[in-house]
Amino acid sequence: MNIAQQIVNGLVLGSGYACVALGWTILLGVARLVNFAHGQLYMLGAFVTWYAMVKVGMPYPVAILAAIITLGILGALLQSAMMRLVMTQNLTSLMIVTLGFGYVLQGGSALIFGGNPQTLPGTLARAKVDLGSLWFTWQDVLVFVATLLLYGAVWLFTQKTRFGSVIRAVAEDPKLAELFGINAKVVYLLVFMFECGAVALGAALVAPRSPILTSMGFNEVIMTFVVVVLGGIGSIGGALAAGLGLGLFIAFFGAFVAQAYTTAAAFALLLILLVIRPAGLATK
Amino acid sequence: MSTIEQSRSGSMSGTRAAIFVVLAAVGFFLPKLLGGTSVAYSTLTTIAIFAVMCYGIDIVLSYLGEVSLGHTLFWAIGGYTAANLSVKYGLNGWSTALATIALCIVAAGFLGAVTLRTREFVFSLVTYAAAVVGYEIAFNWDAIGGSDGIVGIAALKLPFGFATFSGLTQEDLWPVAFALLLLTLLFLARFRHSKLGTAALMVQMNPALAASLGIDPRRIRLAVFVLSAPITGLAGWLYAYQRAYVGPDMFETYFLVLMLTAVVLIGRRILVGPLIGTAILIAQQNLFSLGGDWNKIVLGAVLALVLIFWPAGLIGLFRRAGGSKLNW
Amino acid sequence: MSKIIRLAAALLFAFAAPVMAQDIKVGTIFPLSGGAGPDGQTVTNSVKLIVDQINAKGGLLGRKLVVVSKDDESTPAVGVSRANEMIAEKADVVIEGWNSPVTLAMQPILARAGVLDITAVSKSDLILSGQSNPNAIRINSSNGFDAAVIAKYVVNTLKAKTVAFLTENDVYGNGFQSAVEAEFKTMNFPGKVVATEKFAFKDTDFRVQLTNLKAVNPDAIIVTNASNSSGLPAMVEQYRQAEIKSAFVGAVGIMLTNVFKVAGDANNGIVSADIYFWDLPPFNSIPESNAFAAAFKKAYGADPDKGAALGAAAVQVWASAVEATKSLDKKTVAEAIRGKTIKGTVFGDATFLPNGQLQPRYVVFKVVDGKNAKLEALPQ
Repeated sequence: MNIAQQIVNGLVLGSGYACVALGWTILLGVARLVNFAHGQLYMLGAFVTWYAMVKVGMPYPVAILAAIITLGILGALLQSAMMRLVMTQNLTSLMIVTLGFGYVLQGGSALIFGGNPQTLPGTLARAKVDLGSLWFTWQDVLVFVATLLLYGAVWLFTQKTRFGSVIRAVAEDPKLAELFGINAKVVYLLVFMFECGAVALGAALVAPRSPILTSMGFNEVIMTFVVVVLGGIGSIGGALAAGLGLGLFIAFFGAFVAQAYTTAAAFALLLILLVIRPAGLATK
Repeated sequence: MSTIEQSRSGSMSGTRAAIFVVLAAVGFFLPKLLGGTSVAYSTLTTIAIFAVMCYGIDIVLSYLGEVSLGHTLFWAIGGYTAANLSVKYGLNGWSTALATIALCIVAAGFLGAVTLRTREFVFSLVTYAAAVVGYEIAFNWDAIGGSDGIVGIAALKLPFGFATFSGLTQEDLWPVAFALLLLTLLFLARFRHSKLGTAALMVQMNPALAASLGIDPRRIRLAVFVLSAPITGLAGWLYAYQRAYVGPDMFETYFLVLMLTAVVLIGRRILVGPLIGTAILIAQQNLFSLGGDWNKIVLGAVLALVLIFWPAGLIGLFRRAGGSKLNW
Repeated sequence: MSKIIRLAAALLFAFAAPVMAQDIKVGTIFPLSGGAGPDGQTVTNSVKLIVDQINAKGGLLGRKLVVVSKDDESTPAVGVSRANEMIAEKADVVIEGWNSPVTLAMQPILARAGVLDITAVSKSDLILSGQSNPNAIRINSSNGFDAAVIAKYVVNTLKAKTVAFLTENDVYGNGFQSAVEAEFKTMNFPGKVVATEKFAFKDTDFRVQLTNLKAVNPDAIIVTNASNSSGLPAMVEQYRQAEIKSAFVGAVGIMLTNVFKVAGDANNGIVSADIYFWDLPPFNSIPESNAFAAAFKKAYGADPDKGAALGAAAVQVWASAVEATKSLDKKTVAEAIRGKTIKGTVFGDATFLPNGQLQPRYVVFKVVDGKNAKLEALPQ
């Protein structure tokens, strides 16, 4: 009973991690860009969804779309500002620029949306499912299904479509890709927009679990690091496996050892794995 | 080198030494010149300590071209070592400083070995992971302080054989902070011309040439990383005495962002860059604070805009505007 | 001869120096941005309200009071900067502290500079026992007192046979749990502590811990979660979703406005205690409290919560002591508070222990209508 419920818990947590990590790992894999604003973008995605539902009155699915579009546009603007640095592959400066963007987003959101916690009504987060003695919500089901669909779609896109192979070419060797006539700028722009849109979707689906605050952000996505590095940078299947695996690990570690130390355990696990297999994770 | 060049460089270094001495003297008396108030002393002491903290990360960035997100670990090791050893065992400042250096070297040795073959963002992520683990350990391990940390750290005691320096007030600590800053600057100036320093730069800029000269990049990487740790560690050590309180907050991103910003704001491999950057940031926070939210917006905007327009730092603006060829 | 010179000198100074009634500076350092921003803002607003009231009555020692409020951003390093600024601006008293680490960092700075430091909300025991500030004063209750109230309810009223803990994993949470367990021992609790589950302050998902607790099914679960704006409301909702039958007993002071606002009716049935409710006995019969509540509502459009009361009491206690001793000196004023009783605060008579801790009066309550934050006071 306990075990079964903890497996359910693990899958729920894990699909959340995987969903939020997808955009980040693709951005990292394709553009080698560490987006330090990821957490604040997550927060902004949640707040745009909230604003759309509560202040504008949109139904939940439309609000999700609004969040994705809004953040996509924001992503385009940010990437255009960073374009020169991206083209010259000035990675250290890029990292810090995204850190700066994250700070602006945090301060700005606090001024616009205020410091009080908000809830997202009208989602499925309160709709419980009882399967025998197991319990979870329809929102959890939504997150799980949406994550699988999203990963499936992205995988198909990158593996089976022409544009997907263009992206993979740019990820592999941007200079060579340019020689073949691929416009790397457009690719980078679209990938960054995808990351922003994907994290908006993740936020719209996962954030309703608990009240949202403009000061949240970094903490929500801290597991993204672990998921991405464990799964292999840029690896779509890896991120899904690592996300779900991490969720299960946390559920069981929390159930049988101590929930309070799960962050420490996850990061220690990461460090240990890197000690044992440093070469494997230094790829790309 | 011809005799003419030799003598020119000789007089050049003589002038530069003189300039350095004058600046050092002015720097030492700066708090007095700014009014001698306790706030002047505490602000300048804080700037000195934070600047030394930044130099650790600066070495890694300038000489290895990597962004270490784990230097808060060494900062915290310094603080916790000073706090624990002085509160629990009553050790004096020299002992705690030596312990700090030793522990930082060990920690950096381990972390450096782990990250030896990682590059760029993986290196950054791994160093970040190390800082997170360090935070969790410090937060949960009650024996070294736990979540509330250690209070009541006694004043810094540095016995000199015949007399003991006791750093009770901010005025007392200033000479120690200033001395630490000066030592760090001198060290960095020397390091830039040392074998290790030039080898590291060569590895960063022209790996093929370095390999052909028989330089082992991995040894260089590890050495530079290990060298950078005690610098940040000693800053943390002094911070513990200044604040008389040490806690897991030493791991907070507040310090990490301060370090990164100060280091990239002015420019790479500029000796006084981190110092000026730190001074600007602390001055803004203390004198021109616009409230927590606006401060974030301003800081973030400055960071992003400076690096977008002048990826080499503000010094790029200075040079473009026709600045002198001073080798800072 | 020297006496005449001294007298002459004194007269010279008295006539030469312009007689300026300098304003008395009341400094406040609380988080005004970030997660705890709204809470810190409430306390600061409350301080301003009381200061305005004092000024309206002619000020203190014939001088006007001025509030200087600063934001510590819940970051100890920033708090230290703000404390240094307060010293530079020659604040006569600093009322501070929502997060314990920030208070602990600021204490030695303010103490060294001889500025009186009154901690309004931070709960760490080290604030009083840490010796960083020999004249420490704290208004909010301590874990030791809190534990007695909760233990009493669980043992005597609830008569629970099995008890579990759901505890925030830091000094505050662990300290409270230890204190409750110690109380159990003192009271010869016939029951058993069957499980302990912990979580981090920032956590918002508790299904793993709740699953474990549900399996154990204790009579009561004592919950310690200070994250009133995100973690606790989420925990309450998840607790109900998991259909845990055990009684939810909240640690003292955790059921704040945001918890009711967000979790609404999920809170129904929760039993907890706190040290101030403007509309419950004994506070609703204290004239100063009623006056304060009315004024607060008028000025800020909301009823005052415990945080507001703590801010108000801090000012009232300090002002009383200053008035009584006719002094602004840190030691003199502190000694008029520590170990003494101050009358006329929103808490009624405020009695302080010699170590600076205000003795709290508790209201034990059950939530009857969570959406409207309606509480029913329980006998103690």
